[in-house]
Amino acid sequence: MKNRIITFIFAAAALSLPALAQATQLPAPSPIEKELAARASSVDEVTLDKNTLAFASSFMNGKDKDKAETRQLIDGLEGIYVRDYEFDKEGQFDTGQIEQLRKYYESAEWSSIVRERVRKTGESTDVMVKMANGKTVGMFILDVEPKEVSIVLILGPIRLEDLSKLKNISGLDSALGGVEFKTKDKKDGQQ
Amino acid sequence: MDEFEQELRQAFARQPAPPSLKNRILRNRRSRAPQSHAHLWQRLAAVLVLTLLLSGGFAWHQRERQRKGEAARQQVLLALRITNHALNHMNQQLAAHGRANQK
Repeated sequence: MKNRIITFIFAAAALSLPALAQATQLPAPSPIEKELAARASSVDEVTLDKNTLAFASSFMNGKDKDKAETRQLIDGLEGIYVRDYEFDKEGQFDTGQIEQLRKYYESAEWSSIVRERVRKTGESTDVMVKMANGKTVGMFILDVEPKEVSIVLILGPIRLEDLSKLKNISGLDSALGGVEFKTKDKKDGQQ
Repeated sequence: MDEFEQELRQAFARQPAPPSLKNRILRNRRSRAPQSHAHLWQRLAAVLVLTLLLSGGFAWHQRERQRKGEAARQQVLLALRITNHALNHMNQQLAAHGRANQK
């Protein structure tokens, strides 16, 4: 009987370990990403696990305000997975591929907070968050422009409000200007 | 027992050193002196080389760590830049959608 209990405990631990690891593990690249990368004129791929983030964070100390803000933003994160594909021409990818990408990352634990579609241009944005105990523990962004596809997956405690600080970090504010968040719940967009 | 004591006494009896002993010791010392000097230099050189190797290794390790840290920092900034761009695009779409709804 005692042996059975011990075996059961070990089996339960062995089964729960991959589940725990999966909760904070960065995903393997989707096969669609390879297809997009093959056609893209510019590819940016960034995969940062917890250790690398902590290492990078240790180089963001000092009196520099930007570094301090970036450090504050990434401290405590479990991982960052970012892919950005830029294309020379429009029509280098189709909506089927984007849908496959969306499905690859979408799972029951993610809830959509922004779902925007512009049928005329084919542009779309999806923002999903993963919640645990009332707190955001993950954020997924799939942004599709006529000549660009961006995938952003941030695991760990992150809020849109935190990301709004990005506009204050010099070198990050793009030509489009700072980010002001006007999110809508379960928005279907201009379909 | 007496015989044994006798032998012991003879063995412990004080005897003058042979006259050649002093010369032999002095000769030995003179011949060994320059050798020990060379040994000292060799040791110093070894210590110096070891110190240089250790400090060089440490400096290389520090520089490598700095390089990797800077690369990781650049990767973080690139990831945040792409995130910022994606969120900007989302914001533009939402704003455009809001304007379209107002019309």
